[in-house]
Amino acid sequence: MIIYKEVCVGCGRCQPYCPTGAISFEDMKSVVDQDVCYECGNCLRVAICPVEAIHESPQVYQYPRALRKYFSDPCATHAVTGIEGRGTEESKTNDVTERCGPGAVGVAIEVGRPTLGMGLEDIQRITRALARSGITEIEPQNPIHSMIADPDSEDLKAEMLKERVLRAIIELQITRARLADVLRTIKTVAAEVDSVFTLDVFTMLDPGLTIPQEVLDIIAAEGFTWQPNAKINMGLGRATDREIQ
Amino acid sequence: MTHSLHREGTIDSLERDYALFIYPARGFNYKGCAPKVRRLVEIVYQVGPVNMIATTLRRNMYSGVRPEEVLDSIKEGIRVFSVFNSREKIKEVLKRFKAADEGISIVVSGLIDRVREIALEIGLDPHTINISLGVHGDTGRLPPPDIRQFTTMCGHGMVSPILVRDVIRRVNRGKISPWEASLVLAKPCACGIYNPHRSAELLESLTPLYTVARR
Repeated sequence: MIIYKEVCVGCGRCQPYCPTGAISFEDMKSVVDQDVCYECGNCLRVAICPVEAIHESPQVYQYPRALRKYFSDPCATHAVTGIEGRGTEESKTNDVTERCGPGAVGVAIEVGRPTLGMGLEDIQRITRALARSGITEIEPQNPIHSMIADPDSEDLKAEMLKERVLRAIIELQITRARLADVLRTIKTVAAEVDSVFTLDVFTMLDPGLTIPQEVLDIIAAEGFTWQPNAKINMGLGRATDREIQ
Repeated sequence: MTHSLHREGTIDSLERDYALFIYPARGFNYKGCAPKVRRLVEIVYQVGPVNMIATTLRRNMYSGVRPEEVLDSIKEGIRVFSVFNSREKIKEVLKRFKAADEGISIVVSGLIDRVREIALEIGLDPHTINISLGVHGDTGRLPPPDIRQFTTMCGHGMVSPILVRDVIRRVNRGKISPWEASLVLAKPCACGIYNPHRSAELLESLTPLYTVARR
C-alpha cells in the first residue's frame, strides 16, 4: 500500500487499522513502511482516509511482491487455488468431498497467525523440517505446494524467501499412523520459527460427534492439548454434480 | 481461510459465539447451488445473525449492505459466513437447515460440547471436526490474551491489535460506547464473523482494568 504524501493531511486515522503497524508518522504525514506492509489492503478497504490518500502500490502485482497480496488480502483470489483465502476448503466440505477419509487426518500449520505475520523463510523452516522427517504429503491444492522448488528438501523458490505475508497455511493429508511423527516434528521446529503459528488437526468423527480416541491419544502423547472450541462440519452436504456421480 | 477454531476467550464468553458457514464444494455441488444457498441465507436472516458476509460482496452487516443486496448477489460458488450470539439461535438455524435439506455443507465453529448437545437434540450426525492445538513458535511476540480475544474474532486477522488498544482507550475516555467501539472493530472484518455483541461484553468488562498506550 502507498499513501500519497502530497494528499495526506496527517490525521493518522489510518494508522491503528494496519494489522502489522506498518503505518507511522514521518514529517507530520502518514507513511507506509514498504518492508513491513503485507499488502493486505485493510487501510484502503475500511475507507477511513478523509482525503483518499491511500492507494495500492504500483508494484503490488509484480512477482514476487504479489505473494504478499495473495496471502494477506482476504479479498484477493489466489493465483494458484483460484479461491479467496490462503488454503483449501479442507474440512469445510469434507462431508461431500471425503478428501480426508476414514483412517486419515489433515494437519494445518498456519504461520503468522494470529495477526503477527511472517517472512516466508519461516515456511521453509517448517517444510524443510517436515522433509527431513520424511513428511512430504503437502496438499497439492494448497498454494505452498506450488512454491516448493525442490521436492526432496521442500525448499521454497529462492526469490520468494525475502517476502513477508500476513499468514500462509501448510496443509498435510496423512494417515493416522503418521500423525505422531508430524506432531513431533512440528514441536521441534517451533523453536526455530521467528514468528508464530496455529496448529490444527482435522478428522472424520465417530457417531455422536465423538472425536476418534486414537487421534486424541496421539495428540496427548505428543504433549499437545486441544481447545474447547472447534470447527465442525455438520454432515448436511452431498454431491450432486452429474460428472461426479 | 476463516480461522474461527482458534478464537480465544473464556468458556463463558465463547458460550455466546457460534460462527456458521455455508459452503458449496467445488466440483461436487457448485452447479445449481445458487437457489439452494439463497434459501439457506433467507433462513439465516430469519433467525437473526449478529454478523454475516457473502463472498460475492465482502461487506459485512455493519457496512450498510442491505439483505436484498446480499440475496441478489448470490451466484454459483458463493460462500456465506455468519455468526450467532446464542445457543438457542444456532440450534434454531441448524434445525431449519436440516428441514430444508439443501445438500450444501454447513460448518459450525463453537464450543464442542455445546455443538454436540445441539446435534443430538435435533438429530444431526456431524461428519468432520477441525480441532485447534493452539499457538506455537515465538509466542512472546504476541499481544496479550485479553487483546487476542478481539483480534481472533476476525478469521483473517484484519482486526489490528493496535485498533483494539485504540478503542479501549477511547471507551475509557468516554468518547465512544463499548457498542460503538465494537462496530469500529467489526468494520475491517472481511469474513463477517466478528461478533460485535461479544466484543461489547468484553469491552464492558475489560476497559475499567486497562490503561493502554497507543502501541
